[in-house]
Amino acid sequence: MSLMPFAPSRPLSVGVELELQLLSCNDYNLVSSAPDMLRRIAKFPHAGDVKPEMTRSMIEINTSVQQEYGALVDELRSLRKGVSDAGHFLNVAVAGGGTHPFQHWSEQKIFDAPRFHYLSELYGYLAKQFTIFGQHVHIGCTGPDEALHLMHMLSRYIPHFIALSASSPFVQGHDTGFSSARLNSVFSFPLSGRAPFVLRWDGFEKFFGKMTATGVVESMKDFYWDIRPKPEFGTIEVRVCDTPLTVEIAAAIAGYIQAMARYIMVEQRTAPEEDDYLVYTFNRFQACRFGLEGVFIDPRTHEQRSVREDIADMLTRIADHASELRAEEAMERIREILAAGNGTSWLRQTYAREHNLGDVMQLQAELWMGSN
Amino acid sequence: MTWSTYLPLWPLSVSPALWLALTLVVGVLVGEALMRYLRLPRIVSYIVIGLLLGPGGMALIPQFPATEWRLVVDLALGILLFELGNKVNLRWLKANPWIAGTSLLEATATFFVVYGLLLWFDIAGITAAVVAAIAMATSPAIVVRTVTESRAQGQVTDRLMLMTALNCIYAVIFHKLSVAFMHGETGTSFIHTVLPPLYLIGGSAALAWLFGITFERIHHHLGQHEETFSFVLLGMIAFATIMASTLKLSPVLVLLAAGLITRYRRQRSRTFPPHFGSAGAVLVVLMFIANGLAADLSGLWHSSLLVLLLIIARALAKLLSVLILAHYSGIGLRQAVALGVALVPMSSVALLLTLDTSAVFPAFGSGPGLVLMSCIVILELAGPILVQAALRAAGETPETKI
Repeated sequence: MSLMPFAPSRPLSVGVELELQLLSCNDYNLVSSAPDMLRRIAKFPHAGDVKPEMTRSMIEINTSVQQEYGALVDELRSLRKGVSDAGHFLNVAVAGGGTHPFQHWSEQKIFDAPRFHYLSELYGYLAKQFTIFGQHVHIGCTGPDEALHLMHMLSRYIPHFIALSASSPFVQGHDTGFSSARLNSVFSFPLSGRAPFVLRWDGFEKFFGKMTATGVVESMKDFYWDIRPKPEFGTIEVRVCDTPLTVEIAAAIAGYIQAMARYIMVEQRTAPEEDDYLVYTFNRFQACRFGLEGVFIDPRTHEQRSVREDIADMLTRIADHASELRAEEAMERIREILAAGNGTSWLRQTYAREHNLGDVMQLQAELWMGSN
Repeated sequence: MTWSTYLPLWPLSVSPALWLALTLVVGVLVGEALMRYLRLPRIVSYIVIGLLLGPGGMALIPQFPATEWRLVVDLALGILLFELGNKVNLRWLKANPWIAGTSLLEATATFFVVYGLLLWFDIAGITAAVVAAIAMATSPAIVVRTVTESRAQGQVTDRLMLMTALNCIYAVIFHKLSVAFMHGETGTSFIHTVLPPLYLIGGSAALAWLFGITFERIHHHLGQHEETFSFVLLGMIAFATIMASTLKLSPVLVLLAAGLITRYRRQRSRTFPPHFGSAGAVLVVLMFIANGLAADLSGLWHSSLLVLLLIIARALAKLLSVLILAHYSGIGLRQAVALGVALVPMSSVALLLTLDTSAVFPAFGSGPGLVLMSCIVILELAGPILVQAALRAAGETPETKI
């Protein structure tokens, strides 16, 4: 099967996908209620889209294609309302966060759809351990070469997105010490990592052709890269973020990525280099492990600073682009995260206060669903 | 010195307690075998062993209504009821009124179907009402035990527990009401037919509320020490049960309401070990054996048709009520059928209500009471299997293979 042609899309348009956890209101463990929730949600007209995911204790909400942060956050809020209402109706709590703190992977049930059963067969326990919850952000690109350019330039800032969204310190009942333990699960997949350093779409098609010829992959879906092109949408998709604890943070991170993309396309205009990737896995690990406190090494200047400092610096550089995109509020929220900490710090603080991961999960769900 | 001074006399004269001990061992072992080889719930074997060794079978164990037995049953049932109440989220009824509607419809339909059937069999109206009230209740013991054992979770499980808690409350209250009318019929004044149910509800609620507050206090201080806490809790449940009987309140209502109130008032979710620890779990096993011992199938030979019709009519009333409102309440057809089937079991609560009525009205015990007893035995044996099959069919039990 050959690669789909790259559908052009409106540049810098933005779309968000959030994978959400479904919880029992009795013990706040994951509950296999996705079919019930989807049936209920489908009864009412709603913006965007709500879809099943790999296991029956998760669902995914997708926004439609948006141009601005304001409309994006509105759509996410209305999606949240739809999902929360269904949750109240069915006694199911819904929460953000990249991992469930104490679920056991062997108790997860695979959603009844051919693709999920195929993946479950192929990856075995990895598929169930993949009960992790991420945020994907799509950024529209005018053409395929622009998409590859943007993808490689954004790769440098992957640690920003990881540290800002990180909200998965707890796995299987323990604090892993990681800011985003979720990504460790992603890295165990054979086709995770980064896209090959190819800057032209014909080159990328050639690479894809060779990969399909080996029989290792069938479609773009089989690559679990941190950022990957999505030709049928005409976008690149940033996939490293944990699902944040609120939709507002999710929208802010999308706004941040959008403003940064505009900065890269309009102002920066330097070409990506293969050597940019020398520090890639180091920087990514630092952000995963230590979040905003992680060390960030600039691939070109070799200067060392914290991820927090690099984000603060980036915020001043993209300020004009953010106001051009009317995303000032998003930048304000990013600044708040830099000051007050990411989801992982909220979770650790809450656990220190409550001493009980079930309570943490309950408060996490109340935070996501909003007070109603 | 003769042989007989230090060797036991033959044949051995064995205390019934020995058989009881043996029953526990055999019951639990058979239960394990049922679970492993036939994938049947363990409690079926506890009841069967009790039934086989008790007065209804080989008569190795003495008659049931001994007060010691009653205490075991009351305590274990108290644990299960409090546990059930704790797992039920009453706020859900506000968010999804259709579930409240389903519960009311299901209970009302059961009452009138059973009532009508008994009238048709020429049973006096007031007696029929007592039986119909008892028939409303789904067995909380079987539901809680089977849900715990199968580790089920999901819409059907949650609704089953909620609707069981509710229909037990209806059953106790309407039972008290109709018994009060029975008294009225035998010639006491109007005031004494009206006050008893009011006293029952008010008194039980007050006691339950006190229990709930004490529970939260103690849990606040002792909650971290799970074992110590479970001992205190067992003591509290025993106290509340005996206090309720002393005050002529309903232990069933008190413990169930206590669980519901504790859960309702609580800010955070809490999980407890099954039956609040192993001591509770032993009591629960003993209770099912005791239920087997108390089994009385003599009514079956006299009025097998009535027993059969009663079981079918009651099951249909529950199943159809759930089916009618399933769509509105947000579950699919398969789940609705599972829920309807899972509501069928009868056990301890119905048994205690029947025994209590028979104690006051011996005529009831030798007539409709026997019919009820037969229904209870059958639905107690079939109940756990039905609930387990229903939860499995609804896809709410963990998958066995990875």
